[in-house]
Amino acid sequence: MILTLTILLAVIIAIAWAAFNAAYLVLAERRGAGIIQRRPGPNINGPFGLLQPPLDGIKLMAKQLIIPDGADKFMYISAPVLVMCPAIMSFVALPYSDWLQAQNIDVGLLMVFAFASMGTMGIVFAGWSSRNKYSLMAAMRSVSQAVAYEIPMIITALTITLMAGTTNLDAIVAQQSENFFHWNIFPLFGETHNILMPFSFLIFFICSMAETNRAPFDLGEAEGELVAGFHIEYGSMGFGLFFMGEYANIVIGATLATIFFLGGWSCPFGLFPGVWWFLIKMYAIIFTIIWIRWTFPRTTIYGLLNLSWKILIPASLVNLLLTAGLMKVF
Amino acid sequence: MAAKVKQLPSRGGTPAEKVYLIEIFKGMAITLKHFLRNLWDNSNLYVRHYPEVQPDIPARWRGRHRLLTHPDGTPKCVACFMCQTNCPADCIMIKAGTRIDGVTEKMPVSFTIDLAECIYCGYCVEACPEDAIRMDTGIYAFTSSNREEMKIGMTEMLSLKGGFPEEEYQKGLEGE
Amino acid sequence: MNQPVELQPDETFVLNVGPQHPATHGVLRIKMEMNGEYIVHAETVVGYIHRMHEKMGEIKTYPQFLMNLSRLDYLGAMGYSHCHALCVEKAAGIEVPKRAEYIRVIMVELNRISSHLVWLGAFIMDLGGFTPLLYTFQAREHILDMMERITGARLTYCYIRFGGVSRDIDDQFIQSARDFMPYMRKELVKYHKLVTGNIIFKKRLIGMGHISPEMCRKYGASSGVARGAGINFDIRRNEPYSVYPELEFEVPVYDGCDNMSRYMVRMDEIEQSLRIVEHALDQLPDGPVMPKKAPKNIKPPAGDYYQATETARGTFGVRLVSDGSTTPYRMKLRSPTYSNMHLFDEACKGLMIMDAMAMMGTLDLVIPEIDR
Repeated sequence: MILTLTILLAVIIAIAWAAFNAAYLVLAERRGAGIIQRRPGPNINGPFGLLQPPLDGIKLMAKQLIIPDGADKFMYISAPVLVMCPAIMSFVALPYSDWLQAQNIDVGLLMVFAFASMGTMGIVFAGWSSRNKYSLMAAMRSVSQAVAYEIPMIITALTITLMAGTTNLDAIVAQQSENFFHWNIFPLFGETHNILMPFSFLIFFICSMAETNRAPFDLGEAEGELVAGFHIEYGSMGFGLFFMGEYANIVIGATLATIFFLGGWSCPFGLFPGVWWFLIKMYAIIFTIIWIRWTFPRTTIYGLLNLSWKILIPASLVNLLLTAGLMKVF
Repeated sequence: MAAKVKQLPSRGGTPAEKVYLIEIFKGMAITLKHFLRNLWDNSNLYVRHYPEVQPDIPARWRGRHRLLTHPDGTPKCVACFMCQTNCPADCIMIKAGTRIDGVTEKMPVSFTIDLAECIYCGYCVEACPEDAIRMDTGIYAFTSSNREEMKIGMTEMLSLKGGFPEEEYQKGLEGE
Repeated sequence: MNQPVELQPDETFVLNVGPQHPATHGVLRIKMEMNGEYIVHAETVVGYIHRMHEKMGEIKTYPQFLMNLSRLDYLGAMGYSHCHALCVEKAAGIEVPKRAEYIRVIMVELNRISSHLVWLGAFIMDLGGFTPLLYTFQAREHILDMMERITGARLTYCYIRFGGVSRDIDDQFIQSARDFMPYMRKELVKYHKLVTGNIIFKKRLIGMGHISPEMCRKYGASSGVARGAGINFDIRRNEPYSVYPELEFEVPVYDGCDNMSRYMVRMDEIEQSLRIVEHALDQLPDGPVMPKKAPKNIKPPAGDYYQATETARGTFGVRLVSDGSTTPYRMKLRSPTYSNMHLFDEACKGLMIMDAMAMMGTLDLVIPEIDR
């Protein structure tokens, strides 16, 4: 009984953390974008604009939810749910510290990647059921992009699994905890002496940006050509759920990058390991993602697919083979 | 001075450009520089917090019209209809009448400008021989909820004060 | 529904890039027949903002119509009023003092820079980069502030009159124009670093959106479109007017025929406009800004007069047919964007919609000017 309650509490906290991040990352992005563009960003509602996300949420909930005439009702309504829920459920497996984890799942890595793939189905549902040619085209682009970029991401994760010997996210971090240079991103003192590790971090980073439809890979939501892409016909909370799902996916991507490559919650100098180091690293990666969005334009669809199929997949396969070979030798 | 036809370098170019990442990092460096500069120094943001901070209006700004009066309070306008004839938008409607105070013969009984039709060109100011109408109130923002309120009449225009001191306005006219 | 649907090998659907769209820079409708992502056939439909300027030209007197020209293309308004004033002065035989001509050229070139800055920001935003828009608009604010002090308005300058300009410029304007030049040159370097050197931009610009010189000649395209295809034609050089023969500047022509050439033409034009303003300020003579005997009633003798100038969008022409009275018989406005835009129908066949939109951005369309 107590066990069930603690599990329930842990899951609820994980969901709350996901929702809090999704809401306040929007504010961070708008302020970051503003400062890059020499303007303040939202700073009127509350000090530093901190009341902006709750007010935005209230505004979105108060708007009318319009379902287009002729849209497939079931798919239309379930699409945002299909995008948001897997993202939130993945948070159950992510460890933020050696004790701060909703559930210590042994196949945590597989679980996160399985849920990430489900989000793509939500996009297709949205694109098809809106009965709008623009959203259909955007959904098709999004699907081909998601399929193409999952492969290098999973191959890179396989490399990490090879090195760590386990898919338990807790254990992967524990193996990097001895020293600064034992982080997986540094090739020399780690397990395998694989010099390509920084490149696999780069590959993983690019893939996580592409998986979440984030600029410069935001073809699914391209404003110039496709006027908001697959969520054209969504207003009010449907749009809100898509937005929150996207930011939750960004947090998951950044968390995974921190766990795999940057040593999770271990400190650079071995002092005071804890959840704050994790958060610093995670938010540094999220800041970089936001920074890249406001610097670069969109790639074309064939440039995007070329990058994945012709460059990233061969590179990640080479990395995997090199890691396996070096592990055998050393 | 003939124009030269220029050839553009083809895609790829120098070896430094072939490694895409260097160019990408250069672009990111520019935005990071802006980000850090604007984060510490808030005063450099090119933003005006309207409506708490109002913009600076120069003396030549063509804003809301106003009618001028002689020092004794009589309107300077003699209802010569020069502004009405010259107006490209036909937005001035004057009704002339006999002057009841002062020396000249005519004065306007009613002088309406439809602000919704006006194109703010300043022709009426240039056409007026008596310097009776000016657009120097410095009022640049006016709204109303129905079209009738956008037609301003003589009493309103006589009561508006100029937005600039007289010497500044004259200096603005001369452009010295 | 138990009959199998037989798919045609090239099944197309019609996508309506409707009048309301973020990328069309105005109310323009393009009916595209698409095969997947490729455009098979496109047809532009204009007329959503037709305001009957040419009809107003027949009803209003010459000075009254001069004000309409600022509203035609609001981004480069000064150049349009300049052309109309030159045409009527040619018809009515009005002399323009030298100082007024120089001031007109300075204002027109500053306006050209501000129009190209808007184009640059909007074009990069179409490609997906949201940040340069804010940077170009900040640079543009300097120009607008300068011109606001002199003309009295930021966008609809009613500044040019038949015979000269309405008010003189002062030392503060000259000083701020001189201060603006090094600032703008630094900004241009920044835009080149951020945009032109970037690999993602280069992949979308180089080799994309091919518009050949034959297509330009067929449709009568001008300005960035023609000069990006190697056609060396600029009215300021080929049919000189005003004081341009006395000023030193180059006309940038690139022969790549692709998006990158058109982009570079306009970036170089900003630099050349800065040179023109510099020279004009150096050579600015003293004197009046309106002729001594400014004509009150403008009644050109009956006849057919044409004047073309090079505006930010291209070759703008005014054809005036006068019958001797105070209102024209016919005032025809040759709109450059109308010719520039119609080659989009032919040039975008076989392109993907992303590339077609990028190409449309380089055509520098302002829709109210097409529909007049």
